[in-house]
Amino acid sequence: MGAFAAYTIIGLGLGGIFSLAALGIVLIYRTTGVLNFAHGAMGMFSTFVAWQVFYGWSHPFWPTWLATLLAVVVGLIFAALMGLALEFAVFRWVRTREPVVKAVITIGVLLALQSAASLIWKNNQYHLPIYLAPQQATFQLAGVPIGANYIVIVVMALGLAFGLGAFLRYTSFGRSMRAVSDSPTSASLWGVPVNRVSAVSWMLGSLVAALAGILITPFINFDTTSLTLLIIDALAAALIGGLVSLPLTVLGGFLLGLLETYPTIWIQSLGFPRLVALLVIIAVLIVRNPRGFAVAAK
Amino acid sequence: MTSRLMFRVLAALIAFTVLGRIPVGFDVGFKFDAALAVIWAFGLLSLVLLTGYVGQISLCQATFAGVGAYAAGLMVAGFHADYMVAVLVGVAAAFALGVIVGIPALRLRGITLAIVTLGIALVFDRYVFQDHAFEWFTGGSAGWRVDHATMFGLQMDSSKHLMAAYVVLLALFCVVALLMVNLHDSGAGRRLRAIRDSEVAAATMGVNLTRYKLLAFGMSAAIAGLGGSFYPLVAGSVSPQPFWLFTSLQFAAIAVLMGVRYVPAAALGGVFMAVVPDVLTRFGHGTFMGHAYEISYDWFQIAVGVLLIVQLIALPDGVWGDLRARARHAWSAAGVLGGRKVKVA
Repeated sequence: MGAFAAYTIIGLGLGGIFSLAALGIVLIYRTTGVLNFAHGAMGMFSTFVAWQVFYGWSHPFWPTWLATLLAVVVGLIFAALMGLALEFAVFRWVRTREPVVKAVITIGVLLALQSAASLIWKNNQYHLPIYLAPQQATFQLAGVPIGANYIVIVVMALGLAFGLGAFLRYTSFGRSMRAVSDSPTSASLWGVPVNRVSAVSWMLGSLVAALAGILITPFINFDTTSLTLLIIDALAAALIGGLVSLPLTVLGGFLLGLLETYPTIWIQSLGFPRLVALLVIIAVLIVRNPRGFAVAAK
Repeated sequence: MTSRLMFRVLAALIAFTVLGRIPVGFDVGFKFDAALAVIWAFGLLSLVLLTGYVGQISLCQATFAGVGAYAAGLMVAGFHADYMVAVLVGVAAAFALGVIVGIPALRLRGITLAIVTLGIALVFDRYVFQDHAFEWFTGGSAGWRVDHATMFGLQMDSSKHLMAAYVVLLALFCVVALLMVNLHDSGAGRRLRAIRDSEVAAATMGVNLTRYKLLAFGMSAAIAGLGGSFYPLVAGSVSPQPFWLFTSLQFAAIAVLMGVRYVPAAALGGVFMAVVPDVLTRFGHGTFMGHAYEISYDWFQIAVGVLLIVQLIALPDGVWGDLRARARHAWSAAGVLGGRKVKVA
């Protein structure tokens, strides 16, 4: 029973990771109609910028919290700027194209960012993670110690889901974002600044990706590929939410985390969780009407 | 034989004769690149069929090539079969996997199909090609070593007989490319293209969607697997690295970049994918204005990504498609073709 509880905790932590990664995908898909395969790569690049600030450029006399804060702030600012730059340089020019073309263009972004990162920070090399909460801090819950960083992830995932959902629903800017996603032409006729809304969507999406990346570093083998490849688990979680619903996406992330963790009780394999993710994707796509996504994809 | 078909056969023969001689004077490294270029060209050609003709997106073509490579390696290293038998088994294995992947594709299209195929590529990359449970197929972490292979009973060692492997590969590529070009205008090709343009319309016209979609996936995987099954012969061993997820993504990117609707674009893309990174890493180091520099493989992948973005924005039909349109325009502007229906003498 104790082992089962421990695996549940690990699974929920993993689920929080997937939820965080999936939220940005859903946000960008909902507001711009781009299914962003480069989401993991974008988060990875910003995370490595934060890593560079934390381990490369911070002064040894600074207290840890100051270095961490600085690293996170610089990483997030970089992420927002990168989102803005990508919108200006790439996605502004393909707004009226088919969803598939937009998705393929994100593969170009993925390849470029991935290789740029491996050029700068070297591929397949272990990097020390960034801890937001103290590494050793734990809480006891039902006799199982839970790392503080796990709790940070779960809280952040839930907070972001409801925060972003409220932002889209109740603020006027959020409403204009949804209007643009429904129809850019009629939104612009109603006076919605389409270019500005699209730019903010990309900045926000990139920001969420960076936040997810920084939070995730303690729990994965932190190198240039692993964060990029997290995209498939994130997409599985996003599909559970129908690529639209933020709370369902978070729920899907936790569900996927548990589904990927429980088999490791019996099967010791690094690759098996990928199979679980694929099966979840196929199951979701078969059960749900695939044409339901096309409507949201406008 | 129509004059058009005759022209195509002639073009394929000339291409085979010329391309077959090109690597002769070069060192072993470039001969390896030449053979690798044909293997990658098969992978790109498989996307011409699947994406260019049938309109189905796939991000797991390198997985099909990898399954072909591992099956061929298993046959040669495990069962000491003749290499041609190994190639047949590799193609059959890839075809079977392609049909299986095609089953979810019956209900999916566009981005959802992209997600599923990406997942399949990742599962094979991280699980099937690397896990202990599949060691009988992948030969363990060391992979299959193919030192002594025979083809048609003749000795074929990877380092000594690289040119022979290249010529066989090239001949097969020319045949498959010719078949692909002919498929485009045949009845089956028209049915496949009808699926690309509108599945509903194609089904209304009496096209059996299930059969043709599964067939397209199987044939496409078989083409990729045909190239991949020669990989153990050319490289001397099989490992997961050449067939990992990023190769699949590069296949998709380069196929689109070169022009996913055109068969010659696949050949162009294969050369681009095999030769350019090798030339870059081999000659791309030295000093420039007092600074030592070294160009690594990463620069190639950055270039692929950036070129793909620029191409999708500026030249939607790909490099080959754009060149073709320009050439035709210049041709007709020069008055050679005259008007639309005017025949030259």
